[in-house]
Amino acid sequence: MSDYILELNNITKNFPGVKALDNANFRLKKKSIHALLGENGAGKSTLIKIITGVYNQNEGKLFLNNQEKSFSSPNEAMNAGISVVHQERNLIRRFSVGENLMLTNLPKNNLGLIDYNTVAKESKKWLDIMELDIDPNTIVSDLTVAKMQLCEIAKALSLESKILLLDEPTSSLSPQDTKNLFALLKRLVAEQDVSIVFVSHKLEEVFEICDEVTVLRDGKNACESEQITNLNRQKLVKLMIGRDEQIIKSKKNIDFTDESLLDLQSINTDLGHKNVNLNLKKGEILGLYGLVGAGRTELIKCVLGLDKINSGQILLNNKEIKIKSPKDALEKYKIGYISEDRKKEGLILMHDVLSNAGITVWSNLKKILSFLNDSIVYNKVDPYVKQLEVKTPSYQQIVSNLSGGNQQKISVAKWLASGTDILFIDEPTVGIDIKTKSYLHELIIELSLKGTSIILITSDMPEMISLADRIITMKDFKIVGETINNHNYEEMSSSIMGNIHE
Amino acid sequence: MNNKIPNFVKTNQFGLLILVIVFICIFSFSTDGFTSRFNIYALSRVVALDIMIGLAMMVVILTGGLNLSLGALGVSAAMFGGWCMESMGIPISITIILVLAFGSFLGWINGFVTVRTGVHSFIVTLATMSIYFGFMTLLTEAEAFRKLPEAFTDFGSLKLFNKYISPLLIISVLTCFVLYYIFKYTDIGRKLIAAGANPDAAELSGISVDRMFIYCHMLSGFLAALAGIMLTARIGAAIPSMAGHLGFDWLLPAFLAPVLGGTLLSGGKVTVFGTMLGAILVTLINNGLYLIDVGEFWVRFFLGIILLGAVLLDRAREYFTVKNSIVS
Repeated sequence: MSDYILELNNITKNFPGVKALDNANFRLKKKSIHALLGENGAGKSTLIKIITGVYNQNEGKLFLNNQEKSFSSPNEAMNAGISVVHQERNLIRRFSVGENLMLTNLPKNNLGLIDYNTVAKESKKWLDIMELDIDPNTIVSDLTVAKMQLCEIAKALSLESKILLLDEPTSSLSPQDTKNLFALLKRLVAEQDVSIVFVSHKLEEVFEICDEVTVLRDGKNACESEQITNLNRQKLVKLMIGRDEQIIKSKKNIDFTDESLLDLQSINTDLGHKNVNLNLKKGEILGLYGLVGAGRTELIKCVLGLDKINSGQILLNNKEIKIKSPKDALEKYKIGYISEDRKKEGLILMHDVLSNAGITVWSNLKKILSFLNDSIVYNKVDPYVKQLEVKTPSYQQIVSNLSGGNQQKISVAKWLASGTDILFIDEPTVGIDIKTKSYLHELIIELSLKGTSIILITSDMPEMISLADRIITMKDFKIVGETINNHNYEEMSSSIMGNIHE
Repeated sequence: MNNKIPNFVKTNQFGLLILVIVFICIFSFSTDGFTSRFNIYALSRVVALDIMIGLAMMVVILTGGLNLSLGALGVSAAMFGGWCMESMGIPISITIILVLAFGSFLGWINGFVTVRTGVHSFIVTLATMSIYFGFMTLLTEAEAFRKLPEAFTDFGSLKLFNKYISPLLIISVLTCFVLYYIFKYTDIGRKLIAAGANPDAAELSGISVDRMFIYCHMLSGFLAALAGIMLTARIGAAIPSMAGHLGFDWLLPAFLAPVLGGTLLSGGKVTVFGTMLGAILVTLINNGLYLIDVGEFWVRFFLGIILLGAVLLDRAREYFTVKNSIVS
């Protein structure tokens, strides 16, 4: 008898043309928190999908409590005690917390109707175990994001799950919520006999909470069940990407007394921004830091004319401008926006590479009678797609078939092709592997050196401190601080966090 | 993957073409008169109309929406044309221009209301269907225009190519080519498709999505009006009930053609020639079943079954054939 609750031995999974997993092993000890790491495309999600019964492996065996198992559906895996808590919420927003928790097995009374008293009582039990102070009758959409996350975990527990898979659970949580979540996870492991698989891009968290680490690289084990105490950040990154991490820093001399290129003056918006003043110099990378919900993306969208600005002025080269729409911004003022949500807002996933990369330049390229063909577009965008080293079999490839990193490169390429003077770049490296990430960092710096002025929104503090020339901090739709970046991580991060928690 | 199979074979259109051929074979052997000159000519007149209304629906499905007012709109435009020619004595060519402009205007109303209210076009066009049809009936007092210029009605009964083909079919096929050209080779066509595929991404890429959606509805109105003119020429009169009550008779073929043809109901993909083949298939089945003499109700039954099948196909397509090109 081994003390593993879950064992996957020599798993191989083939997809047409790709070997997603190649003889990979994964062993989860009882009552442990195990980090599963790897770059995008390393095979993490395939492995998770095999564990949860979405896919079946081509080779290899899966043991649950030393018994060989093979799940043919996610339902079977769930019944065997394996639950996933996804990045996307799986709760029904209009239902109460209790209804959501009891959804798969709603208690009924004698008449066959739902017995809401029992729903509340039963679900309260699970909320209590998690020491969550939530009324089971609360409607889910009234909860904070962090509480929803916790309810999701409560739901998994209520299904008597013994294995919890957490996929990037902290991506939308504040530092305080993250701390609470970690405390809870540790308690669950200690008291409830639960084992946890933890997937995250944030290595700091892995060191904080995990006992063991398995790293996948190109579908193979780069390390297997390594004790966290034997590793450090550098070693871990090396395992993930196969080489040392490169830290890139922007070194520039911006004269901040220069005239501004773009100037926001006492902007108040429909969304709740109060008296926002902000200026951007030519060739500058201006960082906008803040927690999720601070109103950064919303500010940019107001500037682009998507939401209403109630008062205040926008000046471009000291002349007041009114931007009515992103079309206006692009065509009249040469301002572009690289969205944080490349799947929903950045790209048209069902269309091919060429039409995604060319969408911003169609208007400029059209000939008489609006004529436009593929080769005209190709000639324009090809240099940028090549420059960014987008890996795609052809320009006719549908974008949804590309990896996240390559998708992001295309959503950047289309703005490079459009030749804008000002670029708003929103969370450019979320969910992007480390290699592409440093590549995009170099690119952003290079762009600004060539004279493009950039407003960079990122919640990734190291990214902010390596790229920005000046950092503005936002909180609750207001600007709460401005610092010139000296690229010293400790100093800058404490000064920024100071601004936020004042 | 087997690369020896040419790409065309994997497309939806190829499957349709095979089906069309299969049905032609079945009906030629099992019925008398399917291949007769008279029947082929009659078929060409019907299919011309089915193609046109299929295209009219297709350009709105492109936005992820629907145009239920299609029939009512087409008939209203046709009645307007009848009034122009018969009551006002306006020359045919000018009447046609006026009718097309009128159809585009009614389409603009659909688009404008949809975009401004944010209500799904299903609801908006359900309302305008009733409004257009009701208004038209009110103004015409449900009377037909039967004394149209001879040059106009003669065109509708003209027989070309050894008396096999109606010129109406040529108009429809030409329209297909023009639409294909627009979607494939123009800036505006690409923007229409991009806006339909992902409105948020298109907007943020500098495309005015609202305007594109209105254009789609206007184009739909234009094509429906053209279909209305063609129908008027075919039957030699403009009659309020020529597309059934509220224009219902047009709805089934209007959905069937593009959905069979491979246009995604969720938007962002057009298949002009697929829609053409879809319309041909629908007309064939319709015609063949009549010739077999199964009775009108069975024909409706089968068309309903085919529509359901086509919608299931649409669901499957979202998973499998998104890989195909977006204009075909």
